[in-house]
Amino acid sequence: MRAALTRYRVIAWVVGVVLILLVVIGMPLKYGFDNPVVVETVGQAHGFLYMVYLVAAFDLSRRADWPLKRMILVMLAGTVPFVSFWAERRVSALVTAEQREREAAPEPIAG
Amino acid sequence: MKRLWTPAWIARHVAMVVLVTTFLGLGWWQVSRAAAGNAISWGYAVEWPIFAGFVVFVWWREVRHALRAAPAPAPGGEVTAPASDDHRAASGEDGTERPRAGIRRPVRVTRVSDGPGEDDADLAAYNRYLSWLNANPGAKPGDYPG
Repeated sequence: MRAALTRYRVIAWVVGVVLILLVVIGMPLKYGFDNPVVVETVGQAHGFLYMVYLVAAFDLSRRADWPLKRMILVMLAGTVPFVSFWAERRVSALVTAEQREREAAPEPIAG
Repeated sequence: MKRLWTPAWIARHVAMVVLVTTFLGLGWWQVSRAAAGNAISWGYAVEWPIFAGFVVFVWWREVRHALRAAPAPAPGGEVTAPASDDHRAASGEDGTERPRAGIRRPVRVTRVSDGPGEDDADLAAYNRYLSWLNANPGAKPGDYPG
């Protein structure tokens, strides 16, 4: 669980940074200065990195036994510039709190 | 399959179909753009179908999860059925007593063999170790005091 959370946090940070590069630098360059090189390179990379993000978020949601709605919200949060960082922090806090709760009251049956 | 036709599930089916057709449509749009000479669109043309596939994957997983969580009302549930006594009691009237499958996986503990053997002590020690592990889910094997 902890490893899955770390994987999720790393890729969430990377995707968030790449998305901001795309929106803050790439888009103005392409549409303002007619220089699409940043959008062409970073845009492609962002698509594939977002796939990795989806897989990491899915893996985490499966291990943490989230409801479908939360999983989808977390996945969508990765597509919003700047909000993705806030979402990553909230997810981390949530997963850590749930895990602490679980450790405080160990269940008798191994799952 | 009735439990997959509740309003919430119909909304999920519709969302899945809408998303998949949208994503495939966007992929096809990128293919046409790529064919028109925009080479960078080939990458997006690959990405969109993958996202569509992911939607189908999550939808299918949820369907399977729902089917497993609520066992079929027909008697003779396969692997998830408990011992025969419970089974008969559970499927007696309306099936509401039936334990929910998919919540907890039963733990299979090695049975101590009833015949005499030289490794009985080892086996008993191992079983003690297993039950200790079972009683302490968060523990690592190195923490075993015995």
